[in-house]
Amino acid sequence: MNYHFGRGFSRWIPYLLLLPGILLYFVIALGPSIATSIYSFTDATGLKGAPVNWVGLDNYREFLLLGQAAKNNLAVLGRTLIFSVLVSSIQFVLGLLFALVLNQRLWGRNVVRTLVFMPVILGAVIQGLIWSLFLYPLGGPAAKLLELVGLKSQFLGGSPMEAFLWVVVVQIWANLGVTMIIFLAGLQTIPSEYYEAASIDGASGWQAFKNVTWPLLTPSVNTNILLNVIGSLQAWQLFLVLIGYRAGTQVLGYLIYATGFGAAGSLTQSFRQGYAAAASIVLFILVLIIGMTIQTYLRRREERIMA
Amino acid sequence: MSKKTFPVVVALLLLSVLLAACGGSQASPAPAAGGQAEAPAAEAKPVTLRLLVHQNPPMVEYMQAFNEKFQAAHPNIKVDMAVVNASDLATATQTRLTANDVDLVDVFGFSNAVQPYMKNVDKPNWQQLIEAGLLADLSGQSFVGNYAPASNQDAGTYDGKIYQVNLGRVVYSGIYYNKSLFQANNVAAPTTWSELVAACETFKAADIPCMTAGGKDGWPIFVGAYGLIGSIYPDQAGLVEGLWTGNIKWNDAKSLEMWQKMKVYTQNMMEPEASGIAGDAAPGRFASGAVAMFAGGSWYASAIEAANPELDWGYMPFPGSDNAADNKYLFGKYDQGWAVAANSANKDAAMTYLSEFSDPANYQAFVNAVGFIPTQSSATLDTLIGKEVAPYLENFRVGYEQYWIAPKGAGEFANPWASYFKPFGTYDDATELANKVQADLQAGLDAAK
Repeated sequence: MNYHFGRGFSRWIPYLLLLPGILLYFVIALGPSIATSIYSFTDATGLKGAPVNWVGLDNYREFLLLGQAAKNNLAVLGRTLIFSVLVSSIQFVLGLLFALVLNQRLWGRNVVRTLVFMPVILGAVIQGLIWSLFLYPLGGPAAKLLELVGLKSQFLGGSPMEAFLWVVVVQIWANLGVTMIIFLAGLQTIPSEYYEAASIDGASGWQAFKNVTWPLLTPSVNTNILLNVIGSLQAWQLFLVLIGYRAGTQVLGYLIYATGFGAAGSLTQSFRQGYAAAASIVLFILVLIIGMTIQTYLRRREERIMA
Repeated sequence: MSKKTFPVVVALLLLSVLLAACGGSQASPAPAAGGQAEAPAAEAKPVTLRLLVHQNPPMVEYMQAFNEKFQAAHPNIKVDMAVVNASDLATATQTRLTANDVDLVDVFGFSNAVQPYMKNVDKPNWQQLIEAGLLADLSGQSFVGNYAPASNQDAGTYDGKIYQVNLGRVVYSGIYYNKSLFQANNVAAPTTWSELVAACETFKAADIPCMTAGGKDGWPIFVGAYGLIGSIYPDQAGLVEGLWTGNIKWNDAKSLEMWQKMKVYTQNMMEPEASGIAGDAAPGRFASGAVAMFAGGSWYASAIEAANPELDWGYMPFPGSDNAADNKYLFGKYDQGWAVAANSANKDAAMTYLSEFSDPANYQAFVNAVGFIPTQSSATLDTLIGKEVAPYLENFRVGYEQYWIAPKGAGEFANPWASYFKPFGTYDDATELANKVQADLQAGLDAAK
């Protein structure tokens, strides 16, 4: 066999080259994840010098079983799933529509592409500030628009459900550009000959989409579904910036932040990183189960279509 | 270089770069020549004094001016001040103290201490910081003596040692009122609940929003209503003990009266748009002159004055009772204080800074700028808010939320918050909400047994 790196010591060169990357992965990604799972069995505060005691499953028991707080936590889990379903599905459909339209030879399409993608480059604080100003109920642009049709709303300060739905809107706005770009990249890999052939066969626009575009977009569809689902399950920054702590609005990511760092909204105002780590592991398991299930389904679907 | 040795060299280079990157960072400056790692004289070597404070515009403005003055007097000390939102202060304090990259931190007065009757609760974060050895003992420092012994004891002492000098108290159970609007509508400053209800009806009839607050942030709504709780339960520490021991319930007859009034407060008195106004935007809304009253703390006074210096306003306790004598209290808390990082390499410079900050003349200027009720006996609050609250200071009480710790397992509604009512929350019925709040609390109390 013609082995590129030669024989003897040289055979180890690929592994040596891989070592820095593997070490970085362990230090930056895997290490903290393992540490989090260990911390979840302790009463760690995250403070240097503070004692760390092994508490077994107490944090999990408290999170999932103790009193009304556990029921609230389960409601938070449910809300996190609802948020994920809403964001993932709407962002997916809108991203696909924008990509289909902006893949046509239209005047000003590059400007529109830029506008749709622009929120992606802004941080969560800037995104939150823009929408807080837009939704200001006393003379803000959105309030003025509603006034024109005789309506009023408190927007982010309205009922918890209304505030929650506004975060869904902002989350979609903030990430729509990524979904659109992935679809656009996928659309541009489809050879135009397929559409010409479909056209010669008398296919309608819908038939061309159904039988050419949609199957050949499968890799982009899979990527977008996974990214949208995982990203929305982990969301928390926009909840912090747009709403802060309000009963009936939190998702699991925000709850973890508030608990771990004694932030406003945490009922105890204490540093509870052990407990927050347990909540993080619950979130991780949720993401893992959902992510793996979707990935398995999508991989089979892709194999079936591509075959 | 041969083709064979090239990959080896590249691999070794990559490895060495990685190992260098993983090496411990040099948190403190390298020792000076001669091996003296810690020179005792702060004046002798260049020092960067790292401060962490929370966002409070008049306070930050004062601090910037004071820092300039301090640096001019101590050319070797450079002050590096970081400002974070109040809600992020605990997080920033935790991370920066743990990383040992801060020397002086702004901490709120010590509160929410665990009481003997409490079970299954966590220690407050300031206690966790002290027990982790992250805050320096300030006992015996000369500047500590500038502050009233009572404030050092109440807001800065733990286990017999002083860890904080507290810079002032604030009151939050009051209402700002627009004197011009009151006069124009023939309304006198209300001293009872019925008078407050009548005043609001008068303003609403004249198409003037009765009251505003920073409802988007949630807490400004219920902070304003602490006068309601206070008029019913003036002994706030006793209220907390009563709730823990079961002698007081959030759905007993006395508390139910409070919830019914809170419903009126949130739904009839507060302008509906208040739910979308952020806490720091609310003073501007009141200063615009469009609203008759603004339920909020004394710290908003300077923002109101800055937004509209011409506005003629007053400040009164929230009249939660129909008996005027029950409304004589102002509830509040010990606000900002200074603590020194125990592991700071610049402790001498930090103490020098605190010594000068605590100088009576400088402290007076700070109080004038920020509007705190002084904790130095020689200082006076000569501002308008100072004059307005002065008659009530003998009845100053530390507020409920400074004592309260929820038991683990309690639900998210286990608090006396007016913001649970529509339009800020989801509840419309006072009895239903009272039962929910008590049930959420009881769940925690039962779990603690």
